[in-house]
Amino acid sequence: MNIRAIVSRPWIWGFAAAVLVWAIIMAISGQGGGQTVSLALSLAPYLVIVGLGQMLVITAGPGNIDVSVAPIISLAGFASVGVAASTGSATVGVLAGVGVGVLVAVISTVAILGLSVPPIIATLAAGLVASSVTLTLANGFTAVPDPGLRELLNVRPAGIPVLAVAVAALTALVIVLLRRTVYGRSLIAVGQNRRAAERAGIPVARVIATTYLVSGALAGLTGALLAAYIAPSADLGTRYLLDSVAVVVIGGTLISGGRAVPVGVWGAGLFFILLDGLVNLVGWSTAAQNLLKGGLVLFVLFLAGGGDRAGGTASRFRRRPRPAAATTTTTGDNIHG
Amino acid sequence: MSDLLASALPSRARMRRTAPAVVSAVALAAMLAVCASLQSDVLSVGGLTLVLSATVPLVIAAQAQMALMSVGDIDLGIGNFVGLVTVVSATTLVSSPLVGALTLLGLVAAYALLGALIHLRRVPSLIATLGASFVWLGLGLFILPTPGGSTPEWLATFGSWQPAGFPAPLLPILVVALVVYLLTARSALGVRMRGLGSNPVALQRAGLRPLAARVIAYTVAGALGVVSGLVLASQTGGGDVSSASSYTLMTVAAVILGGGSFFGGSAVPWGVAIGGVTLGLVSVVLSLLDVQSNMQSAVQGVIVLAVLAGRVVVGKVLR
Repeated sequence: MNIRAIVSRPWIWGFAAAVLVWAIIMAISGQGGGQTVSLALSLAPYLVIVGLGQMLVITAGPGNIDVSVAPIISLAGFASVGVAASTGSATVGVLAGVGVGVLVAVISTVAILGLSVPPIIATLAAGLVASSVTLTLANGFTAVPDPGLRELLNVRPAGIPVLAVAVAALTALVIVLLRRTVYGRSLIAVGQNRRAAERAGIPVARVIATTYLVSGALAGLTGALLAAYIAPSADLGTRYLLDSVAVVVIGGTLISGGRAVPVGVWGAGLFFILLDGLVNLVGWSTAAQNLLKGGLVLFVLFLAGGGDRAGGTASRFRRRPRPAAATTTTTGDNIHG
Repeated sequence: MSDLLASALPSRARMRRTAPAVVSAVALAAMLAVCASLQSDVLSVGGLTLVLSATVPLVIAAQAQMALMSVGDIDLGIGNFVGLVTVVSATTLVSSPLVGALTLLGLVAAYALLGALIHLRRVPSLIATLGASFVWLGLGLFILPTPGGSTPEWLATFGSWQPAGFPAPLLPILVVALVVYLLTARSALGVRMRGLGSNPVALQRAGLRPLAARVIAYTVAGALGVVSGLVLASQTGGGDVSSASSYTLMTVAAVILGGGSFFGGSAVPWGVAIGGVTLGLVSVVLSLLDVQSNMQSAVQGVIVLAVLAGRVVVGKVLR
């Protein structure tokens, strides 16, 4: 009887799956689960940051997706490490990463709004430009990540990484943004019905532009932090394209737009990271990893199902012919004849 | 008199429909002209064979993408699927042709099943095919962890076939485009597919089953994906599951360049063939122009945007 209440909270599934995987890891390794959680919390934030950006874009409505996040992460990694090394300031480096993300997003935004290019193509093209710049930068790249930033990312007071706390705060910020600000409410309105939002006087173009720029900035931030945590490389971001979309969907955000679930991104992000840990623990090959990941995404998707196609057809129902009663009213004329 | 003239000209709606493909064709002609001015051998039979051969698998995969886009879906797994087919062709199809052929048929059936599940569970195709792409990748790595293997003899013969009169790659491009044209634009099945894309309610009211239409579209896409993978394997002479990973987004771009849309309802096989060849030729032009390999993808992106911008301009003029 509580099932309906649980299902109505779409973010619960990601966390449930994460706990399940965590329990399996504990059962197999036979060690305390605290360390596993701590490790997952230090890896998941990167996925969550880029996932939050992707979530905002997907919330903007059907057809909206940002496929430039992967090249942005790789590019921002090089840019931030390079700038940090030349200026000596890690903060400036991170800002450079964010700035690079915004720059790439500007290309997508101009193409989407100015040239009416479909978002998937616009972000693809912007991503291609970014990956070219990445390859050029990577040639003979010698700078090393800032040691101070790397230490900060590895600090874990009481087993909880500082970054996880910071990203939790960021998530809270996104929740407030979506619930309490004009931009957030406008974004959800645009996602639910773009034309209705337009008629209601919402500046749709500005909302969409902001959304892509924020997604680019968040992907840039991910790249800057990830490069400091691991090391800059040309395929630093590759896995984050599919993963960012997957965590958004598993997290309960509607793929057809109009409903964002920021907390769900955390659940699904932890689930994905723990799943990687489990597969490594068992010693499965990358082949099995991919099969498992794909199978799980499909399983969750087909199990949960969706009603988004009903939303698409609802507008078409308006055009159905009038009820037959309307045609029978003419019979009244026959009385005079 | 003016009426007569007007009826002789193609209608405005028709022009608007074919305009995108025309813009792409202009871009294609421009690129061929650039190639020819840099290297006059390009326009010979041998030169065209060399230039076009790399585009053939991409064009066929783009037709698969178009079949799905005509019902309003998008396939984000086609790249890995084509890679998986090359792996099957390089291993099982060589060692035991019957099992290999059955495996390929099974893959087509898997696509049909995917379409049926997408329809019945009302899930977005974007995410379902994204999930499926992990599965294709996993299966490919499972069968052949590192690139390699060999090619069945008949396939290798096809790959190295060099007729005298015309460039060999043109044949598969045109044949596949013709088959897809007959199927999607000229047959009852095609009407159902496009009907599902443009107005599923009307399709249902007409007494036709949307489920069947979607399953047909996915089956066609799966079959074309298999053909694309076999052609790719015939050219590379082996299998590599990640050899076609760039196809996923490139095929979407090719369909858009050819005049297709994300909202379904249109089938543009000839436009897709032009769009696919255009995209494939970009890298040839760039290498002839001595553009650094680093910058090639950037130029590719800019060209896609430029062609689409041209389309917007043409669309505004025609309105």
